[in-house]
Amino acid sequence: MARLAGLRSFVVIAAAVLGVLRLIHIAVPIVLPETRQGPIALARLDDVRRTVGFAPLLPAYHPEFLGADPASISVRFSPRPASIVVWRAGNQLLSVTQQRGGAPPAHPPLARPFEDVAGSTWWTDGSRSHLVVERGGFWIHLETTLSTRELRRFVDTLSER
Amino acid sequence: MIPAAWSDPLWSYLWQVALHASVLGLILYVWVHRLGLPSGGTRRRLLALLLVLPMMTAAVPGRTGVHFAEQWAWLNSARLLAVPLVGDLRVHHLVLAAGLLMTLVTIWQELSLALRRPKASTDDVPAALLRMVRERPGWEHCVVAISPAGSILVATSGVPGRPRLIASRGALETLTDTDLAIVVAHEHAHWQRDRWWRLHGLFVVRLLQCYHPAALWAFREYCLEVEVECDAAAVAGRDPHALARVLMRVYHGTDAHDVAARAALRKRVDVLIGPGPVDAGVPPATLATVAVVMLLVLPWLV
Repeated sequence: MARLAGLRSFVVIAAAVLGVLRLIHIAVPIVLPETRQGPIALARLDDVRRTVGFAPLLPAYHPEFLGADPASISVRFSPRPASIVVWRAGNQLLSVTQQRGGAPPAHPPLARPFEDVAGSTWWTDGSRSHLVVERGGFWIHLETTLSTRELRRFVDTLSER
Repeated sequence: MIPAAWSDPLWSYLWQVALHASVLGLILYVWVHRLGLPSGGTRRRLLALLLVLPMMTAAVPGRTGVHFAEQWAWLNSARLLAVPLVGDLRVHHLVLAAGLLMTLVTIWQELSLALRRPKASTDDVPAALLRMVRERPGWEHCVVAISPAGSILVATSGVPGRPRLIASRGALETLTDTDLAIVVAHEHAHWQRDRWWRLHGLFVVRLLQCYHPAALWAFREYCLEVEVECDAAAVAGRDPHALARVLMRVYHGTDAHDVAARAALRKRVDVLIGPGPVDAGVPPATLATVAVVMLLVLPWLV
């Protein structure tokens, strides 16, 4: 043991420091829940897969005036990993929230299926339309100020990015 | 919300280096004090480890994703960075501000030191000094220059193979030949046993880490340990009190506000005239085990 003299005290000190760090890791989100939930802003769509582990399903179609690139891309981790991609042009908005598993997003009692889209839930909230569909274990929540015709085209062209 | 910049690979890497260096620095600092390690080889190796290891552990791939941070990591520092302070202010704002401040202060300190350095001339170099310098092994072609400064200053610059020694007028007028010989021996020691290469290699490592406090502290302590090592080499077979007296003169000539410089001189004097072997440390096997353990542990902190 002479060849490893001093190692025991190092192990004790390292274990104590790492123990305190673990305590901080666990305690901070309990005391301050917002530190765990995000959202975290991302710069590129490619970063979504890296951060939450899945590629976002987004409409291949969207009107030209909304622009090709999203106005904001963000992810959150609690209660379920989710990506939130938003296009915005003036008062017009298209937001696509994709959540892995869990309970479907909350909706009002008067919500009903959207046209002939199977398993969908649709409702309006002032000038905004909301549509929730399930795709491959993910809940997709589309929110837009555009017409239901445009909403239909969004949901029909959902594809992986 | 944590800004997108934090997920940028470069910023994320620099933050990880700073985080790993801070944790490793804290553990090693407490350990060294617990062991009561004196100045010497062990401290130098630990400080070098503190500078180099975080750059390796922060580069371990597959750790940057939030999935890893939330599901597998021992510590996810993003949780700490997201802690709210006042209003919209969060810890990551504080970290960015501290990093920016450290960078500006360090650049200003280094630039002002370089700009204040008086110009040295190779004219009128005393023959005795030239002989004293050039009779040292490897310094046969050493350039000697005289600075007009009135303070005691003897320093070296240049690169291996083309060293340059600068002595101030103040040093030539104040120091005896014996004192000057010890001081030259100290400067010469900086160029022996690969010390120059090690110091400059670690300086580059420190620069790559972009001025985070743990790296700045570790490098400053390493430089001090090298000074102590070179002091010991210079006084080998001589009376250490002679060099201690020179250092005390430099101490008294240093601006009282320059607390760091005076503390470093004070420590060198204490080690020079203090009791006990300088290089008493922990066995190499312990150091190797510490390095391997931390190499395996630090990547789990993200």
